[in-house]
Amino acid sequence: MPKPTPTEIPENGSAGVLAGVLADLREIIVDLSHSRGLIYQLTLRDIRVRYKQAVMGFAWAILSPLLIVGAGTVLRVAMLRMSGQQFAAIDAGGIALKGVMWGFFASTLSLGTTALSGNPNLITKVYFAREVLPLSVVLAGAFDALVGAGAVAIVLPLTGWRPTWAVLWLPFLAVILFTFTLAIVLAVSCANLFYRDVRYLVQVLVSFGIFFVPVFYTPAMLGARWIGPQMANPLAAVLEGARLSVMDGHNLSVSLPSATDGVLLWSPLYLVSSAGTAVLMLAMVAVIFRRAQFRFAEYV
Amino acid sequence: MGVTTPQITFDGVWKKFRRGEVHNSLRDLLPALTRRAFKGEFLRPDLAASEFWALRDVSFSVQPGQTLGIIGNNGAGKSTVLKILTRILRPNRGRYAVRGRIGALLEIAAGFHQDLTGRENIFLQGAIMGMGRRELRRKLDDIVAFSGVEASIDSPVKTYSSGMNARLGFAIAAHLDPEVLIIDEALSVGDYAFQRKAFGRIRALATSGIPVVVVSHQLDRISELCTDVLLLANGERVEHGRPSDVIAAYLRGDGNTIAHGAKPSPVTFAQAAVVGPQSIRSGAFARIRLGGVVSEPLGEHIEPIGIVVRSAQTGDTVFETGASMLQLPLPPGAFEFELELQMNVQPGIYLIDVDVWDRATEEQFLEGPRLTIRVVEGDTFLGTTNLNARLAARDREAAFVS
Repeated sequence: MPKPTPTEIPENGSAGVLAGVLADLREIIVDLSHSRGLIYQLTLRDIRVRYKQAVMGFAWAILSPLLIVGAGTVLRVAMLRMSGQQFAAIDAGGIALKGVMWGFFASTLSLGTTALSGNPNLITKVYFAREVLPLSVVLAGAFDALVGAGAVAIVLPLTGWRPTWAVLWLPFLAVILFTFTLAIVLAVSCANLFYRDVRYLVQVLVSFGIFFVPVFYTPAMLGARWIGPQMANPLAAVLEGARLSVMDGHNLSVSLPSATDGVLLWSPLYLVSSAGTAVLMLAMVAVIFRRAQFRFAEYV
Repeated sequence: MGVTTPQITFDGVWKKFRRGEVHNSLRDLLPALTRRAFKGEFLRPDLAASEFWALRDVSFSVQPGQTLGIIGNNGAGKSTVLKILTRILRPNRGRYAVRGRIGALLEIAAGFHQDLTGRENIFLQGAIMGMGRRELRRKLDDIVAFSGVEASIDSPVKTYSSGMNARLGFAIAAHLDPEVLIIDEALSVGDYAFQRKAFGRIRALATSGIPVVVVSHQLDRISELCTDVLLLANGERVEHGRPSDVIAAYLRGDGNTIAHGAKPSPVTFAQAAVVGPQSIRSGAFARIRLGGVVSEPLGEHIEPIGIVVRSAQTGDTVFETGASMLQLPLPPGAFEFELELQMNVQPGIYLIDVDVWDRATEEQFLEGPRLTIRVVEGDTFLGTTNLNARLAARDREAAFVS
């Protein structure tokens, strides 16, 4: 017997897109604040599992920045030899610092891609705010990054580096980096749940992304006109900002013209735009994620 | 306003699913996702060709003190109801509300991580189920004791047997203090002894006065736990009411269709009742009384009082008899008699159906009354029927000689 099928559109059809987005954001914040205990346990799980064998755990946190520093040093020495310059310890320090930050982004992205698709049992059987799965991966990655940063902080003074007040920019940069990474991981974990080949694309991007972000080099090395376009990438601005503030002691709230030709190496606008981009992306991705999550259990 | 009473309501709920596997290419991922999300098209209420309704216009409510059992064949929509109640799925149309803290026994060890110890997993799984750390710390000893895995609680879960895994998972779930309870087949975990313990816990929770929804294929448990039963078929409500009536309807639907009123029945029933206790030990006699009227002389091939005993758990016919087999004379006029049945069967619920049918054409004239007998543990045996085995010394000797 054919049953009548309903045709009316459910809720928030014409309530206004912005009002809907704001309502969703509020709901996400409320849900996540109720899920603090779960976020803590899931993050703890990831950290525990990784550090269960203490040696392997710390190696995990330090190995990837160490490799990045090694690769960057080789590359830089080669470049400097061609232009007849000497490699300085401060260059290695800058690469190490950026290496830890890039390592956080890259490894979190790799692990976070399957944060949802790797937990079908949880998603089809238990309800909780789904954001906590990618979020806890990013938090556990942040823990690794702190271990790596600790290692850098121990080694740097041995190379003759001395801290300045500009180091205080670092926590602010770290927050931007965290926000941006979380936005990307949320988006990618959600995408990989619906389209399983996203994972492979992410692997390629993570492998080669390091060459498109100023980790081994500084933006100015590509020429003055390419500094601005590079800095449009929040990741580039954060990494370069970290190098300038920590290694060169530059205050990020003022512009930095090049000593030789007056080209602008740094502008506070870079910081504003990267922070703005990261926050906007996170808000947009979070809303899409929230609206898609009721389909997770049907697709995972 | 005082404190809101915990309750469950489900009002005209529709939910659709896609048929089969969906393959999507990466190319149209982001534009499609963005478009759909911002237009709110994720939950379109109409139906495309590749989709089907898993639930159609299902409504019910569960008040404190009520336990609703949901039964039906596979694919009837039982799990979909539970997943909507626990917010895992969202319906395409209709309203639902669950007031109060939900305790859901859907998958009890879903959050376990194999490399973590039992103790660590208690905190992890507990958090996934919505328990706080302080609460878990307070209940830790009880959970460990209930699970019976004290000795291995600080070993990684990967060293556990599947039974230990399930026991620990159930122990955590059993220590939720839910205001609303939702259970899906989690009733049978671990070995026999633990299953009984687990079921005891579920029964205690279910009868503690909170609203409960249970999905199970085990009809005897449904009938034992529930105050109300909802029968679903193809996502639609078929029956909703008293457990015995709905379970009976389910079992009836399982069998052949009945030709209603093809011919007037020569026999009608006025009374049918279980005499004495409705709950008896395995091996004891159940006694039923039947009464009615024979309106015309009966032909040779008529079975005026067919009696079929079926297991409510499996639906299998356990025993069949009838007035003609029992050589009960039934002249026109009123009749009344009592019948004894020795229940040499396993514990469970048994349904006794009475009908009138034509043995030649297998046509049913009348679907008569239905009685229910509960068999509890008595004589212990394995298998479906107790054949009252006993040793006969002489025969055993003979066997050795030959």
